[in-house]
Amino acid sequence: MFAIQDYRSGIKPVFCPGCGDYGVLSAITKAFADLQLDPDNTVVVSGIGCSSSMPHDFKCYGIHGIHGRALPIAEGVKLANSELNVVVVGGDGDGYGIGLQHLIHAARRNINITYIIMDNEIYGLTTGQASPTSSFGQKTKSTPFGVIEKPINPMSLLIASGASYVARGFSGEPMHLAELIKNGIKHKGFSVIDVESPCVSFNKLNTFEWARRVVYKIEGHDPKDLSKAMEKAFEFELNPAKLSIGLLYESDRKTYEELEVELKGNKVLAKQDMLGADDILSFLDEYNV
Amino acid sequence: MDDITIRIAGANGDGIESAARILAKAIGKNGFHVFGFRSYQSIIRGGSVWFQVRASNKKLYSIGNRIDILVSIDIDGIRNNTEMLDENSVVIYDSKLGNLDKMLNELTKGKRLKSFGIPILDNAIKVGGSIYRNTYIIGLIGKIMGLSPDSIHSTIKEVFAKKPDVIPNNINAADAGYTAESDLRFKIEVNERKGDKYLLTGNDAIAIGAAAAGCKFYAAYPMTPASTILEWFAAHENHGVMYKQPEDEITAINMTIGAASAGVRAMCGTSGGGFSLMVEALGLAGMLEVPIVIIESQRGGPSTGLPTKTEQGDLLFVTHASQGDFPRVVIAPRNIEECFYEMSNAFNIAERYQCPVIVLIDMFLSEHIETINVDPSSIKIDRGLLVDKPKNDFKRYEITESGISPRSIPGTKGLAFVAPSDEHDEYGNLASDVAAGTPEGIEIRKRMHAKRMRKLDTMLKDGAIKMPLVINENADIFMVTFGSATNSCIEAVEILKGKGISAGVISFSYMFPMHTEKVKSLLSGKRLVDVECNYSAQLSKLIKMYAGIEIKDAILKYDGEQITSREISENMYKIINQK
Repeated sequence: MFAIQDYRSGIKPVFCPGCGDYGVLSAITKAFADLQLDPDNTVVVSGIGCSSSMPHDFKCYGIHGIHGRALPIAEGVKLANSELNVVVVGGDGDGYGIGLQHLIHAARRNINITYIIMDNEIYGLTTGQASPTSSFGQKTKSTPFGVIEKPINPMSLLIASGASYVARGFSGEPMHLAELIKNGIKHKGFSVIDVESPCVSFNKLNTFEWARRVVYKIEGHDPKDLSKAMEKAFEFELNPAKLSIGLLYESDRKTYEELEVELKGNKVLAKQDMLGADDILSFLDEYNV
Repeated sequence: MDDITIRIAGANGDGIESAARILAKAIGKNGFHVFGFRSYQSIIRGGSVWFQVRASNKKLYSIGNRIDILVSIDIDGIRNNTEMLDENSVVIYDSKLGNLDKMLNELTKGKRLKSFGIPILDNAIKVGGSIYRNTYIIGLIGKIMGLSPDSIHSTIKEVFAKKPDVIPNNINAADAGYTAESDLRFKIEVNERKGDKYLLTGNDAIAIGAAAAGCKFYAAYPMTPASTILEWFAAHENHGVMYKQPEDEITAINMTIGAASAGVRAMCGTSGGGFSLMVEALGLAGMLEVPIVIIESQRGGPSTGLPTKTEQGDLLFVTHASQGDFPRVVIAPRNIEECFYEMSNAFNIAERYQCPVIVLIDMFLSEHIETINVDPSSIKIDRGLLVDKPKNDFKRYEITESGISPRSIPGTKGLAFVAPSDEHDEYGNLASDVAAGTPEGIEIRKRMHAKRMRKLDTMLKDGAIKMPLVINENADIFMVTFGSATNSCIEAVEILKGKGISAGVISFSYMFPMHTEKVKSLLSGKRLVDVECNYSAQLSKLIKMYAGIEIKDAILKYDGEQITSREISENMYKIINQK
């Protein structure tokens, strides 16, 4: 039986006082404890950014990688040992900016990983430049005349890319968020939880007050209905006063690892013996003179 | 005669490559050593390509400096391939091209070599279609070389084992070629060399060598000339290895780091352009101390450069790529046997010293074929300091004398840690945020950085890093070279001997780290000529940087073709006689 403290390293998080990521940290910890994940069998992977320091806050295995590359590292871990619980944490810069290609391809693969993206619509650790989700017109250090690019719509992008569990949460609603994370981890396939997690230091637009005003919980929505899910995904883009939180889309399809076993018999690589000289001789036989 | 060289020329899509491989295999069955290479272009159909096969009763080091028999099925195949022809060469072409004696005489500036038109296409059509031209040519060459008909028949049966319905026509085509009216004879006697077991390319040897070293995970984005490594892994995925085609090379190396962190021997591979994308993560592997192996098969650079041509222009790049200092090892196998055996050394070094190991090859080594023998049972696996006993105070990055710290694998009870790309303490906690600049932070940075870098000294002291190969240690002058250029230098020693010059070879295969003092004393007091395939004498620069020896003379080649023993010996002769 694992208690909440069994998952925490005791290291003081480096987030600013009042940062939204505290709520996400509690929600992830609660989800781990609710699911009774074995910390020694769990790997938390991140890239670079404020939220990417989170692996250090857990008492699990962790890899704190380089900017934008958390997903490929996590995929490598999972492909090598599909019995591990692999959870990726990071921010909007990591997930929707520098690492966007990995997000799309991980979604296509439907690899059984859970990705929690703490979206504060700003680059916080570099002290306040525009991010891929910054609002159109938003003034930041890198956009003193306002952002002139349309923000990424993560929900529609993820659904279109083939992610099989697409949800949005709010760090001001940690219990609701913990449920989304828990169900995301339980889900077989690539699950993404985008979390509205306000930056109290550098984003004067997307504040807690703003979020409390626009966020509402989805009710009476069928997440298996693709066209309804897409409609929900576009809602905020069409009406900035309504930011839905909850499960937008879910589908049942085989995971990458299941297909690996089915098609090639590749079970858990990390637990298979290395090939022996006889195997190699049989490979070489194909090249006999 | 001791050896014979045959070049078959045609267009992309004519099946020249598969024909040459069948011929090479049939020659191998007769007990000869075979060395072959193809020239092709970055297009799928058309153009002008050739495949050269050299056979001998002695060990060969190159595809040769001249051609005995040139067979061409089109005009371009004649026009583009006269450079290596001499008075003793024979040219065979399709008689439907007309009489080419005059053209050949002009192209070879009156070398008066023999040439024959043979109705290759017509005879192939008689057997079943133009597709059988190649097999007809194989039969014809088999007759000229005195190969046994049985060896040709059994080769065809083996090569087409999965397409049995094409076997009879191919055998008929080969027999038609074998019985063609021709009194040409280029027969080599089998004497000292007893036949090799396998016909492999360098990439085949890298892939099978990696599997023999226990590599179970390979990630690679397609890129010439490394792609056939991924094809091998992909074809054997149901035999205990996994191949992953990622969205780019950044993904390939990061996945490899993930898989290696999870305890699997993992590798990625590419050419220079893809390696450029891997550079940031190379440093990540250095910082996290994750054992990975990277194959870098060089082609002509810079940028897209010459995708189907060879060069050794990435040596200084791979030895110094990525920000900051961290331990890495660069191994440049010299030949196909070393491609096979160095893979297990690469993985053992990676795991023993917990650092990235780059295996630097090139297009010539990746793609040429050779008959060789290798013995997988001689391979030893050393997984380094892997721990699995739970420990209260587990220090993944423990500061030790050797620089090597105990490593645990996710899933192991009681040994969890976080591997950070930031500077960190012995537990893996960050030294980069609140600790940075504090007296403790400064101290841990110094000690941790020095710990990592000490691994380089440790591997040099342990004997993990091999010294250069020396041939003819008492020679008057030495060619200093590395990797695949070595074979041509070895061949040049014999040519120079014939001119009364006592030359030797000093060849590096372990490029970095370097045994500074030992290399210095090896090279000191010797007359040296640098031989390599790049513009700027990168090996010379590396030696000057780490061993402090300046090599003034250099024979450099950067036209995309493999350097030959003839070019080396002629230039050596010039260099010697200049002074």
